[in-house]
Amino acid sequence: MTDEALRAVDVRKTYRTRGGPSVDALRGVSVSLRKGERVALLGRNGAGKTTFLRIASTLLLPTAGTIEVFGRDVVRSPEQVRPLIAVVPQEGKPFFHLTPREQIYTYLRARGVEREDAKARVEDVLDRMDLMEVADRLNITLSGGQKQRAMVATVMSTEAPLLFLDEPTIGMDPFARRAVWEALRRLTNKGCTILLTTHYLDEAEVLSERLFIVEQGLILHDGTAAELKKAMGGTLRVSVSGGASLREQLETFGPVVSDGGTCSVITEPPRVNEILALAMNGGLSATVGPVTLEEAFLKVVGRSIDED
Amino acid sequence: MSLATRFQGTAVFTATEVRVQFHEWLAILTGTLVQSVLVVFVWVLDQPGLPFALIGAMVYSVFLIGQRLLNEAAYIRIDHKLNELYHASPLTPEAYFLGMAVGMLIAYSPPIILFVVLIEIIHPLSALAWLVLIAALASVWTSSSVLGYYVASLFKDMKTIWPYSSLLTNLFGIVPPVFYPLSALGPLPPIVGALALITPTSAASNLVASVEGLGGSALSAGQMELAAFALFAEAALTLLFGLYWARRSARED
Repeated sequence: MTDEALRAVDVRKTYRTRGGPSVDALRGVSVSLRKGERVALLGRNGAGKTTFLRIASTLLLPTAGTIEVFGRDVVRSPEQVRPLIAVVPQEGKPFFHLTPREQIYTYLRARGVEREDAKARVEDVLDRMDLMEVADRLNITLSGGQKQRAMVATVMSTEAPLLFLDEPTIGMDPFARRAVWEALRRLTNKGCTILLTTHYLDEAEVLSERLFIVEQGLILHDGTAAELKKAMGGTLRVSVSGGASLREQLETFGPVVSDGGTCSVITEPPRVNEILALAMNGGLSATVGPVTLEEAFLKVVGRSIDED
Repeated sequence: MSLATRFQGTAVFTATEVRVQFHEWLAILTGTLVQSVLVVFVWVLDQPGLPFALIGAMVYSVFLIGQRLLNEAAYIRIDHKLNELYHASPLTPEAYFLGMAVGMLIAYSPPIILFVVLIEIIHPLSALAWLVLIAALASVWTSSSVLGYYVASLFKDMKTIWPYSSLLTNLFGIVPPVFYPLSALGPLPPIVGALALITPTSAASNLVASVEGLGGSALSAGQMELAAFALFAEAALTLLFGLYWARRSARED
């Protein structure tokens, strides 16, 4: 098996709708994932993350380009790719009339896992995902977050060499999200490769070793979160509420990114007091903090991740 | 991919579906309602026609399984997206489809068993009629399951699918002569009878009733040949199409 878990070259996808305009969901995406990596596709809704994931996981045909999973072409040889992957679909739900224990067990059996092995994996993943208490309750009676955990647990239990997770922690509380992150880290330590989509900036930063920022079907950044923040040109962020009127003056202190009415200056510690004074003189409030992925995303994409 | 590999996992996915359906026992119970009501009508209005109506009830119950599959496949795909979980796995699309179809057959067999018991009490069938009945029911199940799976894959929301499910059930289960003999269509143009003979449901019940020699329902030799040919040819063709479509629809364009 090659050391490259996934290689995509110039992948394009155009959705054609009857009577409507066609939509270019992917406009030439080329990425590569090494074996054992945790990589996040970060982007706004409609950026093309799910489309890429569905093509890579053999569920959707691309309009052009190639994707190989461990050297196997996903378009020409889906039968060879499918045993090597597992997918948490976006907004997927478990069978409502199965329990989490039944759901995971039957899925593993359908994938060809032997009975005893499947039973052991079920107990392990239920424990790791903190689902033991509800393991024998029908999924329909679980909370939204528990259902999502059951879905993620189902896929994690496969220990497939390449896992695709489309918004895996959506609807989960912070504790559950951390449990998922920890479980995913353990999987990559065991050699699994993970490609996940998210629009949670903290998730992308904490969980992924590398991230791709996707916008309008293009990859705008390929690197680590730290590299992205470093490229901002400063270590501190001074955010001035209603600072649009001061934008020109703020730009003299460093790069400025705007989110609604708030302007954030990326700068270094010696210049902070000057910026605060400028804001106070203008009757505006300002906050200071370290540069976050939010500013980096704003700079790269030009829009907030929550903006539709 | 070898034939054996292509269908590997069918039994496991069948077991999954059976488990899921058995948790919904009320749906299984209500699966007997329409045909039971029709049988009661026949019993009240035309007692000699009761054995035919019971054969029709079995055929209708089997056809209904395909419509249950329609709803299940659509629900899993549209509402739960579980088809993606299974399609992006070693389980082949053919095994997924067949597993679901066999699972629905097992889960919804109680209504069929009920009518088997009733006909054995009221009018025990000959061995030959049983053989023809089993073959006819298998053919109706095949055609109906493929039809259900195909229709389920065409739409993007459940609300659009409901009317089609209802339409198909009425079109194949109620409109053609399934619960009563083809001869009852007497005054209608001959084309109606011909259409009834090539419709899987009415072909099945009329064929079985003719083999059993139920009074007033015997088809001519030519009609029996046409009904049998249509029934089995449709089953074979739809099965081939179903396997093709399962693979084709596992990945969207």
